[in-house]
Formats: sequence, C-alpha cells, structure tokens
Amino acid sequence: MTARQWITVTLLLMPGLGLIVWLIGTVVYIAFAQSFGLYNINGESALTTAYWADLLGNNIYLRSVRYSTYIGVMSAIFSVVLAYPLAIWLRKPFTGSMTIGSILKAPLLVHGLVAAFLFVNVISYHGILNQFMQWIGIWDGPHRLQNDNNAIAVLILQTWKNMPFALLLLTGALQGISDDVLDAARDLGAGSWARFRKIIAPLTVSGMQAAIVIIFIGAVSDFAFQVIAGPINRQSLAQLMVGYKGRGDWNSAAVVGATMIIVALFGSAILAGLSKIVMRGRLK
Amino acid sequence: MNRLRLNNILMALVIALAFIWLFIPFVMAVLWSLVDPSQPWTADKLLPPAMSFYRWVNMWQNSSLQPALLTSYTLAPSAAILSLLLAFPTSFALGRIAFPGREVAKTLCLLPLVVPPFITAVFFTALLYRLGLTAWRPGAIIFAHAVVFLPFSIRILTVSFETVRQDHIDAARDLGAGHWARFKAAYLPALRPGIYASLLIVFIQSIEEFAIAFIVGSPDVVTIPVLLYSALGQDYVRPNAAVLSLILVIPNVFLMLFLERLLKSANPTLASGKG
Amino acid sequence: MAAINIQKLSKDFSGFKALTELSLDVREGEFLTLLGPSGCGKTTLLKIISGFIEPTKGHILLNGKDVTKVPPEARDTALCFQSYALFPHLSVRENLEFGLRQKKVPALDRKDRIADVAEKLGLGPQMDKLPNQLSGGQQQRVSLGRALVMRPSVILFDEPLSNLDAKLRDQVRLEIRRIQKDYKLTAIYVTHDQAEALAMSDRIVVLKSGQIEQVDTPERLYAAPRTGFVADFIGNANVFTGRVLPQKTPTIWRIETPIGILETGNNAGTEGAEITLCWRPENAEINDDGALGGTVTSKAFQGHFTDLMVETKGVPYRIQTSRTDVNEGDTIGFNVPGPSVILLENAQ
Ligand SMILES: Nc1ncnc2c1ncn2[C@@H]1O[C@H](COP(=O)(O)OP(=O)(O)OP(=O)(O)O)[C@@H](O)[C@H]1O
Ligand SMILES: [Mg+2]
Repeated sequence: MTARQWITVTLLLMPGLGLIVWLIGTVVYIAFAQSFGLYNINGESALTTAYWADLLGNNIYLRSVRYSTYIGVMSAIFSVVLAYPLAIWLRKPFTGSMTIGSILKAPLLVHGLVAAFLFVNVISYHGILNQFMQWIGIWDGPHRLQNDNNAIAVLILQTWKNMPFALLLLTGALQGISDDVLDAARDLGAGSWARFRKIIAPLTVSGMQAAIVIIFIGAVSDFAFQVIAGPINRQSLAQLMVGYKGRGDWNSAAVVGATMIIVALFGSAILAGLSKIVMRGRLK
Repeated sequence: MNRLRLNNILMALVIALAFIWLFIPFVMAVLWSLVDPSQPWTADKLLPPAMSFYRWVNMWQNSSLQPALLTSYTLAPSAAILSLLLAFPTSFALGRIAFPGREVAKTLCLLPLVVPPFITAVFFTALLYRLGLTAWRPGAIIFAHAVVFLPFSIRILTVSFETVRQDHIDAARDLGAGHWARFKAAYLPALRPGIYASLLIVFIQSIEEFAIAFIVGSPDVVTIPVLLYSALGQDYVRPNAAVLSLILVIPNVFLMLFLERLLKSANPTLASGKG
Repeated sequence: MAAINIQKLSKDFSGFKALTELSLDVREGEFLTLLGPSGCGKTTLLKIISGFIEPTKGHILLNGKDVTKVPPEARDTALCFQSYALFPHLSVRENLEFGLRQKKVPALDRKDRIADVAEKLGLGPQMDKLPNQLSGGQQQRVSLGRALVMRPSVILFDEPLSNLDAKLRDQVRLEIRRIQKDYKLTAIYVTHDQAEALAMSDRIVVLKSGQIEQVDTPERLYAAPRTGFVADFIGNANVFTGRVLPQKTPTIWRIETPIGILETGNNAGTEGAEITLCWRPENAEINDDGALGGTVTSKAFQGHFTDLMVETKGVPYRIQTSRTDVNEGDTIGFNVPGPSVILLENAQ
C-alpha cells in the first residue's frame, strides 16, 4: 500500500469508524476520568480516589454490583438455554416451521417497556394470573408478584425479550452446518448427544458467545425492567448511576458507570471463555 | 412416523406457550385500553363492564402523545439518514479496499454495541455540557443515535459493497462510463437493498431507543418510549399505559414485516452468484 | 465382513422415482461398483444402505438381518461422502479419529490405524491442519481415510477419487483395494470413470434411471453387454439394428445392417428377425479388401491408438486403429471379426 492509498483509506474511515472510536472512546474516557475526580463539569478537577473509596465502602453500591451481575448472568444463561433446543428443532424446515419461527421471534418487535407493561398487567395484584390461581384453587388470596425480592419478574422479562435474539443468532449458526457433516458424524457412530457435543456445539459456539455477550451486557445495564418490575429494596447499576446523575453527583455516577463497563467487559470475557470451555469440552 | 408425531406435539406445545406469552398479554392490553372511565374494571369481572374508545381519544387529544409522536417520527428518520451518510465511506473502504487491519477495523465498528446504552447516554451528556453544546437537544439525540446505531449501517452496507461485482464495474468502465455512470450502473443496483435495510433498521432502533432519549433529551424532548416510561412510572394509569403500549407496538410490526421482505430480497447469497 | 441383500427397494422423492424396485445381492468381501449416468440414483442407494434415507418400499439386509429401520449410527457401515463432509472444526487427525473414538477403540490402536491410513493416503504432513487449509484432493483423501480407518464390515464410496490427479488416483485406487482385501470389507463403490470400474471391481452394476440394467464381472460386462445402453456406457460401441439373413453355414449367421452385412458365429436367431447388435471400435480390422467400407470424416490421435469417425451411406460410427497412415477423406475397407459381433436384447 502506498502512502496515498493509506490516506484515502484513513479519510474514508473517518466519518464512520473515526466517529465511533472518538465518541465511544470519549464517553468511556470521561466515565473513568470523572470517577477519579478529573474532567469535572462544575467545580475543581483533582485526581482523587476518594469517590471509588467512598463507593467501595458503600453497601448499596456493592449490592448493586452483585445484583446487576446476577441479572446479567442469569438472563444470558436462561435465554441461551431456552433458545438452543428450539434452534436445533428449527434447523431443518418442516411444515409450519416458518410460523413457529415467527411466533417465537415476535417479542423482537415488542419494545422492552411495552413488554414490561404487558407483563406487569398479567402478574399484578388483581391481574389475570392471580385470578386464575385463585380460580383453580391453588392460592387462597392474591399474591404480590410484581416486585419480588429475587427479581424473578425481571428475569422473566429479560428472557422473554432476549430469547428470540439468541434464537436468531443460533439458528443462523446451526443452518450453517451442512446435513452431510451431521450425517457423516452419524455414520461414524455418533448418537444424538455425541453429535451435539462434538459437532453442533463446537460449530455454533461463536454464535452462542455473541448471543451471551450481547444479552449479558444489555441485562447488566438494565434500567427500565428494573424500575418497573424489579425488587424495591435493590437497585441495578444503571438505576444507581441515573440516581447519582440526577442529584448532580457526576463523580459517583462515573464510578458506577466505570464499574458497569468493567463488569460488562470482564463478565462477557469470562462468560465467553466459559461457554467455549463448556461447549468445546476442552481448552483450545 | 414417530418423529412426525413428536413434531406435532412440540408444535402444539409451542403454540400453547405462545398463547400464554404473547396472546394473553396483548388481549389484556387491548381490553384495558378499552375500559370506559364511567365504570372501573374490577377484579371480579371477566370483561370490562363498559367499553369504549374514550381512552384512545382522550390520550390522543389531551396528552403529550401527539408531540411525542411528532418528535419520535422526526428524530428517527433524521438519525437513519445521518447514520447512512456516515456509514457510506467507511463501508466502501471495508467492502472494497483490501488494506491491512481491515478485520480489526470491522471489529472496532461494533464498539457501540458493547458499551451499555446508559453509559453512552450519561457521559455523552457530560461531554455535551463540557463542550457547551446543550442548546439543541434534538440535534444531540440525532447525532448520538446515528453514531450508536452506526454498527448496523456499516455492517449492512459493507456486505452490500462486497456483493458489487468487480466485473460489472469493469464492464461499465470498459464501455466508457465515467465515475457517476459507473456508480449508477454497477454499484447502485447492488447497494439499493442494503441502503433501504440500513435506513429501516436505524429507524426502528431509534424509535425504540430509551436511554439516550431519556437522559440526553430530558426534560424538554419527549419521545414515545420516554412518554411510555413516565406513563408506567410516576403517571401510572393502567388504561392509558395500555393505549400507549399498543401505539408503540403496531407500527413496529408493520415495519418489521417490511424489513423481513427487504432482507430476503437482499439476501447476499442469492444475489452474488460467483465471480 | 457382511453380505448385503437389497430387496425390491424403491424411493420416491415427492413423486419423483429415484429408485424403482431395485434388488441386488452383494457377497461378503466383494468389491462392487455402481456405474451410471449422473442422477441415476447412485448416491441415493448408498444413503439408503447407510441409513440416511428411508426407502419408500423394500428392505435392506446386512448379514441376513433386516436393518431397514436401524439408524445410521447403529449400522456397521461407513460412507465416504461425495461432498467430503469433513468436520470443519477438527484437524485432519481428529477427523480421522472421530469414528474410532465413537467406537471406543483403545488409544494405542487408534494411533496405529490412523498412522497407517495417513501413510497410505499420503496425508502425513497434513495431520494437524484444518480442512479449510487443505486442497480439494487432500480433503477428499481425508474423507476417504475417515471411512477406511473404521474398517467397517460394509464400506461405501461415493466417487472418492474424483478430485485427484491421474497419478494419485492410480495409487490411491490400489490402496483402497488393498485395504479392502486385507480387512475383507464388503465395498460398494460409485464412480463415473468406467476404466476405474473395470480395473477395480469384482462385479459392476450398471444403473439407469433408478433401475439395474446389468450386473456382471467387468470382463463379461465388456464382452457381453446385454443392452446397447450398457455396451455404450462401458467402453465404446457401435450399435446397429439389423435383420437376420439366411444362414451361410449351420454355424455362421449373416445379418444385414445399415453399413453392410456382418457375419458371426453367434446365434442370431431365425431368418427375418429384427435384432440389435454392436461391435467395439477397437475390434474392426482395417484391411483394403475388407467386406465393409466407409469414408473417414474425422480423426483424433489418442497416443497408443487413433480414433476415426467413419461414415457409410450417411450412417456414422467409430473405429479405433493402431495405424497412423489413415487421413480424413480416405476411403477405407475393414472387417468386423465374427466373435466380436455382440448380439443385444432388442429393447434399447
Ligand atoms: N432430497 C431429494 N429430493 C428430491 N429429489 C432428490 C433428492 N435427492 C436426490 N434426488 C433426485 O434423485 C435422483 C438421483 O439422485 P442421486 O444423488 O442419487 O444421483 P447420483 O446418481 O448420485 O448422481 P451423480 O452422479 O451426479 O452424483 C436425481 O434426479 C436427484 O435430482
Ligand atoms: Mg451422487
């Protein structure tokens, strides 16, 4: 490549990639800088670890980290675990498989907030679920389901919204495996389980990693589901961050933001690595 | 034929589950949106005692629904066009020039997808304050949406650029076509589906986006998701929320159906052939 | 080692008959070749035998046991796929090892068998590569090796050498045959190359649109094809229809064909009968005072012989000769020796 070509490529990349790197880079940089007291909007900027020290000693913050990680990991696992068998089932077309696929993917069209509303509607104190359970006589009176302490409502919502996405990625990966390759494995004596472990799993692991990582990051930074259906006595990281920002405490918000980035990055690296080990059955 | 039986059972099961997880919630929403305020729908009744379109009319006339719709449906196409324009040169480079580090560049383009949206929103706002650019909020939202959804546009257009066949370009050139004529004859037909798909995807994403619109836009700019958020939070009236939810969902369904058609016709494996 | 009995096998693909009432017995340790034009159902038959395709009608017996409903993983067969079907995420070694691991062959034994096959197929330097790092021919040999290493009682090859150069093909062909003999495998082999079929097989099955045309040893198939289709498919043949003339002597029959009268010691039947016959181009003897004659319309030098297209009264046919002094436009005379006139079943 000549210098001229390099200049052309660089200029071409500027408005797209350049902007991405600049904006996202700045955003991440600001988050980290502000968490150390730099880059302040109002007031003095001074390098300090006080904000980190402050929050690391704060129980609410620590609970949020644990809570958001829990939501992220569980949502990713539930979505993928549900999506896998469905994707395998739908790999080869059969009569009605298109319809089933569309029904399963329908939640992709529904905005998360709408999903939350629909769900709350169903599980609310006088909602249809409570009515139904009383009607068939399992429960004596209505139960309070909406803001349960284990965030089951949030997890159901996350799975409801994200499973179709995992399904989409996994079906794509699965359809990339040719029939002959699976037949060859059968011919060499591999039963259903061996075919899954040795052929399907390793060949779809990258699709699965993509699904896990994206779902995990989305769920770790969840705000809307948490506010509407989450436990009252716990806050997600995004909720905490927005709270600090609303009070004008940018530095603490930055600490929480930086934490979220760290959790998102490390969490997805760990999850991606783990899924590779689990799916491949070996380190390689 | 055992397999066939199993398949049928599974299908019945999925349809039954879909009934629970799609149909019931939507029917409930529709019913709630039709509750007439004259008589409340209490727990002991199967159907609302009085049904009317009062809530729909009322929401339409007396809430911020109209301005929110206007805002959303102005911001989204603007963001879609801006995103397309920004993606174009980069996609050209990624799709048609073989330069060292191209794969790294492609991966870097996915960056906005891995940074949680609330972080982008909050610290983009911090950046705006810093630069003193807080005057025109809608512009800030358009810009942020365009950049955050750039990965989609770049990805789609890169694939389109890759499917442009070199022999078409060469043939056009051979026949004496200039730059513009070459673009029209060789590039545009291959790019057109990608351009539509990119516009549509960014449009849908932007209509749905909550974090940036909420944080960057507050308190002046209200989009539909922001409105819905407050309708589900501080101003919670169930029938009103039902109306808003349905309004947010319906156009999506149509857009997505349209998109599905478009993506099928633009399937690169069908269009590229060999060469 | 196993015998295969195929009984009245039919396969419909939504109305299209890929196989029709096909019956065939393969003996233990036999090397049987399927030969036939593209789309005649060869792959379909192999896939039914290995269990991937369920036949519409009919039965498959392995060693006398009906396996029609047995799943592929439970049949002691190995198929070498026409499309290779290598596992893309596994190295060559792991691909070869896959079936052995499934069968729980001890590690030491596995190593020996793989080393053996790799050496015979010339895959030694490729063992740690992934399939997409191999050339087409190398991939094909891995696919072949993956089936051979299993030493199953029945081994099925779907055009396993189609992508190899002529030299490698000869060499691998010998190896396949040797392994098959050493381990007494029953083999069914699909090829498009009739020379390969003639060279390797114990018996050859000629298929035509899902039905068997003829099953025989290579020698008999070549010398005594039953139909014009078989005659023309195995080697070349000039096929004519003719009418039986009055016999010359009690042991010599005379047949009138469009290019002249042929004499043969083969029983052509009663006078006046309409028959179909053929002769091989290489059996014609060019000879100035031959009983037959024609004009050479084109010639193609093939190395050890020359291919001539000859015409008599507008009817074209082919003659192969070792003579090089014949030119286009020449008029030649020739004889077709009596024993090389092959009488065919009338139905073409
Ligand atoms: N799954 C299928 N559905 C419909 N028709 C099929 C299917 N598989 C094969 N066929 C048809 O059955 C016929 C036989 O196919 P097969 O693959 O057995 O041919 P083949 O003899 O192996 O040909 P080739 O030498 O080209 O490999 C073909 O006409 C083919 O179109
Ligand atoms: Mg075939």
